[in-house]
Amino acid sequence: MLMQQLLNGIVVGSVYGVFALGFTLIFGVNHIMNMAHGTIFMWGAFAGLFVVLTFDAPFLAAVLAGAIGGGLLAVVLDFFAFRPLRKRNAPEFSSIVSSIGASFILLSLAQQVTATRVLRFPFETFPVVILNFMGLRIQLLQLVIVGIVVVMVFGLLFYLYRTSYGRQIRSVAFSESTSKLLGINPMAVNFQVFFISGALAGIAGVLIGIVFNSVHFMMGEPLLLRAFVVIILGGLGSIPGALIAGLLIGIVQTLSVAYLSAGMADAIVFSLLFLVLLFRPTGLLGGATSVARVTRS
Amino acid sequence: MKFFLSYIPLFELALFNMLLAFSQYVVLRAGVFSLGTAAFAALGAYTSAILATKLGMSPWIGMAASLVLGAIAGALVAIPLARLRGVFQALATLALVQIMLSITLNWVDVTEGALGINGIPRSVGLFGMFCAVVVVGYFLAVIGASSIGRAFDVIREDETVAVSLGISVPKYHLIAFILSGSIAGFAGGLHAFSSYSITPNEYGFHMLVMVLAMVVLGGRVSVWGPVVGAAILTVLPELLRGFQEYRMVMQGAVLMFAIVFLPRGIVDTAKNIWRARRVAASEAAKTKAVTV
Amino acid sequence: MKALCLSDVSRSFGGLPAVDGLTLTAPAGRVTGLIGPNGAGKTTVVNLITGLLKVGRGRITVGERDVTEASASALARAGVARTFQNIRLIADATVLENVVAGFHRHETTGVLSNLFGLPSSFAERRRLEEKAGALLERFGMTAFAAHPAGSLSYGHQRRIEMMRALAMDPSVLLLDEPVAGMNDSEAHSLAEIFRDVAGQGVAILLIEHNMRFVMSLCTHIYVLASGRLISDGDPEEVGRDPKVIEAYLGS
Repeated sequence: MLMQQLLNGIVVGSVYGVFALGFTLIFGVNHIMNMAHGTIFMWGAFAGLFVVLTFDAPFLAAVLAGAIGGGLLAVVLDFFAFRPLRKRNAPEFSSIVSSIGASFILLSLAQQVTATRVLRFPFETFPVVILNFMGLRIQLLQLVIVGIVVVMVFGLLFYLYRTSYGRQIRSVAFSESTSKLLGINPMAVNFQVFFISGALAGIAGVLIGIVFNSVHFMMGEPLLLRAFVVIILGGLGSIPGALIAGLLIGIVQTLSVAYLSAGMADAIVFSLLFLVLLFRPTGLLGGATSVARVTRS
Repeated sequence: MKFFLSYIPLFELALFNMLLAFSQYVVLRAGVFSLGTAAFAALGAYTSAILATKLGMSPWIGMAASLVLGAIAGALVAIPLARLRGVFQALATLALVQIMLSITLNWVDVTEGALGINGIPRSVGLFGMFCAVVVVGYFLAVIGASSIGRAFDVIREDETVAVSLGISVPKYHLIAFILSGSIAGFAGGLHAFSSYSITPNEYGFHMLVMVLAMVVLGGRVSVWGPVVGAAILTVLPELLRGFQEYRMVMQGAVLMFAIVFLPRGIVDTAKNIWRARRVAASEAAKTKAVTV
Repeated sequence: MKALCLSDVSRSFGGLPAVDGLTLTAPAGRVTGLIGPNGAGKTTVVNLITGLLKVGRGRITVGERDVTEASASALARAGVARTFQNIRLIADATVLENVVAGFHRHETTGVLSNLFGLPSSFAERRRLEEKAGALLERFGMTAFAAHPAGSLSYGHQRRIEMMRALAMDPSVLLLDEPVAGMNDSEAHSLAEIFRDVAGQGVAILLIEHNMRFVMSLCTHIYVLASGRLISDGDPEEVGRDPKVIEAYLGS
């Protein structure tokens, strides 16, 4: 029973990790806390559901649609909510406020479109196949999800550390003004960063929508709050930190739901956030740079 | 008169929103990125409601308890958050709203869960709300003109300068949090005693966004900012009643529009323009005097 | 009468030394100069003294008091004032309001009387505005009292920063390139004010790029290059020192 719950926790946690990765990427490069990241996740799930319902598309096509939908939405969001502020060199609080506004718009639009209903992926999208392995009941879906997560993480790492685009992104993250002198176009970099971040959120949306068999307009909010816990626990801007903390939160969450109650699970996860901020604000894996970013000078 | 009476609920809502906006205003003026107003208000509302319905206490005691508990909660939150940079204060206080929501939804023995607490005796009316807004507004204006307000302004505009002038940032952030918590707690108490019932979801993300939008739209320096912002954002949805479904879309759009195009808010922008005009006028008068 | 003393102060960023073993004394009642070519570490020194950066090694004292570990705001309350190289004013506030902000460490009204708007709070405000008015007069800025600080010229903004620092009634005053971008006559009138302030027993440390200005004003000059002290002495000695000439011209 415990092993079974741990397994479920790892699966959910790896999706949390992917979601948080997109959040931490934008923060690392643009120093923006994107409060609308949860609504991009939700619209990604809608995009996946849309292609499945309209075109009878297979599972992987739904994941792809979630990635493209989420990615494009994030780019549009950047254009309206963040670009004007960047131009003016506005303080970081402005981008929080404007992304909260954007998330509210996206949230209520989704509510209108779905008429506040909970939608579901059709059963055939991913039929239940159960494998027995050392006494554990593993769903094929769970294996596929972990597989997708692993592919995405390595893909992202490869992109960031082995391609010239990735070098440009890391260079802008380090210093935007220096990058401009080096002839890097920050517009192109921002486009990539927001697209990748949105795509990761969209994929996470489709996966969570299928795992819990529900897609609804409020699905992003709890995930965003969990992402805060994940990135703070993992240390800001740290990719391995986001993944490890994502797994940890997924396990804590699943175990508390199983052994306590769903309501308690939330309270425990968010209290964790408070405790981390209190005792180790740089997170478990945060280094010296995150000290400077988190605490006051 | 009948026309006026039919609008009493709207006026009461506007006054309640002004109190919440005051709570959000005081932290933003001090450069604290707290989004915790909704959590403090929930604490106040539930304190008053529980004292009234379960223990049969008088509204005065209930509201005083709401105010004091709000202040204590503000102080407790301020201590860990004073060390953190702005965006993390925002995250942590957002989580605080969520924690409060989980508690009010799940601690059913005390809070009645999602159903909320009903049957609270209505003991505060329009006049009471109005008095509360005037008192709190006057109080904030006095503080704003004092040494505390001056320190808030320097911290908000430039923390490095504030520190170099000997202003202790944690101390003033603590003051701002306590003020914000007590005003929101008090507002929650008043709301409980003026609306018969309270439910957890009133004090969630929607309230957070609305209150933030009011202060960003109205302005963060002058005490009239939150008043104007709250008035506009309470009345505007009533004027757009035909578009009821899109009221939330509109609030989000106002928030985005204000921060992008009117970052100082209506009142402070107007004040700056007026001040620049006056200086220009006196300048012009002087040159005229010289040439004559 | 308190002197500012640095002994063997070092600080490095990511392994690269920005300031290395700096020993320096700015006695009360004098204007002491700290010069050096661009990137020598002058502003790092200011940030170390004012507590914005942590000292890696060494000791800083003001008078008898060891302030090496003190926080930036505690240092300011102890009487260390500064100006900023890139002027930092509250642009929307008036000139008078900007100067009044400098009096913070002398405000005596308690938190409670401020909270409840007791008469002492209003009396203090009036008193501070009067004192700020006197400073404005000394700097010839009375006519600008009601102007938003951000609307004024560069030279005027520098003066506002200076007034704000003097409002603190400091025992140590750090001036980070105070005459950058000013013409000679403006610089000259500021020099008069600096001499005057030093004459009242303040220890002034002047960080400057403009050699001529430093030579005319300082009694003792320290020269910094690549974070190290390469020379010190009276203006004439320093001006003759080949190492100084090399540091300035060689690069």
